[in-house]
Amino acid sequence: METTFDSLLLGFSVALQPSVLWYAFLGCLVGTLVGMLPGIGPLAGISILLPVTYGLEPTKAIVMLAGIYYGSQYGGSTTSILMRIPGEAASVMTCIDGYAMAQKGRAGAALCIAAVGSFIAGTLSVIALTVVAPPLANFALRFGPPEYTALLVLGLIFLAYMSSTSLVRTLLMASVGLLLGTIGIDVMTGHFRYSFDIKELGDGIGIVPVAVGLFGLGEILSKASKDVTGDVIRPKLRELLPSREEWRQSAMPITRGTVLGFLIGIVPGSAHIISSFLSYAIEKRIANHPEEFGKGAVAGVAGPESANNAASTGAFVPMLALGIPTGPVTAVLIAALLLHGIPAGPMLVNEHPQVFWGFVASMYVGNLMLLALNLPLVGMFVNVLRIKYYYLYPLIIMFCIIGVYEVNNSIIDVWIMLIMGVFGYLLRKFDFDPAPLVLGLVITPTFELSLRQSLVMSSGDWTIFFQRPIAATLFAVSAILLLLAAYSAFSRRDWRAKLAEVEAADKG
Amino acid sequence: MIPLRRFLQLAGSAALAAAPQSARAQSYPSRPITIMVFVGAGGAPDIIARLIGQGLSQRIGQPVVIENRPGGGGNLSLQAVARAPADGHTLLLIATPHAINVTLYEKLNVNVIRDIAPVASINNDSFVMLVNPSSPVKSVAEFIVHAKSNPGKVNLTSSGNGNLTHLSGELFRMASGIDLVHVPYRNTPAALTALMAGDVHVIFDALPSAMPHVKAGSLRPLGVTAPARVKALPDVPSISDTVPGYAVTGWLGIGAPHGTPAEIIAKLNKDINAVVSDPEIAARLASFGSDPFTSTPASFGKLIAAETEKWEKVVRFAGLKIE
Repeated sequence: METTFDSLLLGFSVALQPSVLWYAFLGCLVGTLVGMLPGIGPLAGISILLPVTYGLEPTKAIVMLAGIYYGSQYGGSTTSILMRIPGEAASVMTCIDGYAMAQKGRAGAALCIAAVGSFIAGTLSVIALTVVAPPLANFALRFGPPEYTALLVLGLIFLAYMSSTSLVRTLLMASVGLLLGTIGIDVMTGHFRYSFDIKELGDGIGIVPVAVGLFGLGEILSKASKDVTGDVIRPKLRELLPSREEWRQSAMPITRGTVLGFLIGIVPGSAHIISSFLSYAIEKRIANHPEEFGKGAVAGVAGPESANNAASTGAFVPMLALGIPTGPVTAVLIAALLLHGIPAGPMLVNEHPQVFWGFVASMYVGNLMLLALNLPLVGMFVNVLRIKYYYLYPLIIMFCIIGVYEVNNSIIDVWIMLIMGVFGYLLRKFDFDPAPLVLGLVITPTFELSLRQSLVMSSGDWTIFFQRPIAATLFAVSAILLLLAAYSAFSRRDWRAKLAEVEAADKG
Repeated sequence: MIPLRRFLQLAGSAALAAAPQSARAQSYPSRPITIMVFVGAGGAPDIIARLIGQGLSQRIGQPVVIENRPGGGGNLSLQAVARAPADGHTLLLIATPHAINVTLYEKLNVNVIRDIAPVASINNDSFVMLVNPSSPVKSVAEFIVHAKSNPGKVNLTSSGNGNLTHLSGELFRMASGIDLVHVPYRNTPAALTALMAGDVHVIFDALPSAMPHVKAGSLRPLGVTAPARVKALPDVPSISDTVPGYAVTGWLGIGAPHGTPAEIIAKLNKDINAVVSDPEIAARLASFGSDPFTSTPASFGKLIAAETEKWEKVVRFAGLKIE
């Protein structure tokens, strides 16, 4: 413990050098922008700026690149809340209640809660990273294909709690998402599926183009078909800050989101995307008034926003302790270190303590900077809502197209986004919720691969899922949740049954 | 309109004062050169392409932009270059997958031999056969015995169906006559993680990504795939000592669209060879465990053709096909 403290002091002596501070700030600033621009996520942002760091010394390079990564988790909420456009995959869930809050004139409050939640989650996660990284990293190693399968089964069950529409509509949307997720080369056998000889579809359908299309473009198109003459939300200055009640409602979701996000973040693979989805579903599952979700529930912003920040920090645990990236972003960071002749891995802490601890300390500082950067900007961002739709929307569509194209230099991605935009418009017209579709798309490729990997590992023996403790526990939790749901469905009518009746009455 | 990516790069370089560039006016290149890379930013080939691109840009006085076109098993980058104007301003990072794909893909409208003119080679990468350090197996011979006594229970992992990490294993299976069950992962880090966790049993991975784990002792090397020992791992024998004739080398090089004028190719070959031989860059490549080598366009072309033939046999043996 004492040595950790000493090391951290060494870290701060590096991180607080003015030049390192400057690069941390630069990274946080770029990260915020990258998170806000639709389509361009942290991966694209870091890849674009990677060559720029060649001339820098390694500590500055890694501090700046990491700043882009966790900074983007702050920025991602802004466009989600104000315009229902997910800046990147992790902020899809914020689009739902964040945007609903903005529609009610609480945009400032939502932005504040997102920023403060992100700050708390980011800082707590860095503390956890400092203190318990090595033992947690070994936990990450025990997360193999069977555990993944079990985690995603749990994700599938939570899918049912994702949406503010009836169960039938939710599952319908989820099925569409699951089907879309099967497009692409089958990793196990190498067969193209549903690709219609379009090579780009071989790698599957990207989450970002789908999310930007369904949420952002869908919303813009549906606004255009309504009569909204001058109907612009004008938030008053004193309404910018969250009320006492709103703070109270977000305290627990922030805490739960942080723990959940951090744990999911350290799991190797692409699971960290589902942290914000799971957080949203959990908040809704345990809320006293689940029917408020989708109509501007504070917890629906606070939980997922904290979870995605905690996950982005948690992802550094296996990267720093084992040299294994948890996702594409940390893979690029490892490459950035390698470029400077520093291999990330178990040796990093001993061989380059000033890099390791400087990097960790810079995250404490970086989170403070991001809070200082984001809170004062809330007032400015909210003013975007004053811009008339006929100026604002064409601009947004342009940014969406450029952003989505830039990620893979792929025109196919732009088409996917545009088609999904039209689809999103139809969904909005007929009151379907696109969130389960996006989660379905996120889950399918990994779920299918890990299920089949597990079965190959065990030569087709299904008991592999119950022999491994983590997998068995996750399956047990899934079973309990299913039983509880079945109980409430049979014994008393839950709120979703009432929703189905309302929906049926609408049609009648 | 300047693409956003380039704008950000230029703005970024300006802000951070990038490496000095000597500008020499010449008819070629008249504008920035793009090298299309078949992996995303951060992969070993991407790092090497960026190193070469940096050196090349200092020599020819034009910026060299690395454009990542991952996907389609390398075919998307190939297609983009094959369709670009043959004026030497759009180049391809050619690699072993492009030679494998000639046989692997059922329907392929682009083909590295037909559509790409070889320009220069960059490096050879040995692969290394790795097992978990807790495995009882300590040598290639012991591994073969172990696999023969546990048929159907030893899992070979790879970073994806039909790529070099997979085919190196299939070639080993073919040459040693053992039985291995293939469990593919989506990328190299995921496969290495699974190996460290003990979920799978063996991988043939390229040295650049394997080296940190070998040095840290989190993975045990059994043998290198190069025909002889390599400098980066002097204590590790060559697999061919135990399995005669077994050899796998990954290589990288630069190609241009078919029909690029010979004088442009000759100029690029001279410059790239000079970059690859630059002691600083050679040392950098060596630090990844990579072995730089230069060649003429013609001999590089021969290498691509020979590799295409070699992997055709392995792909047919393993019964692989992507359709």
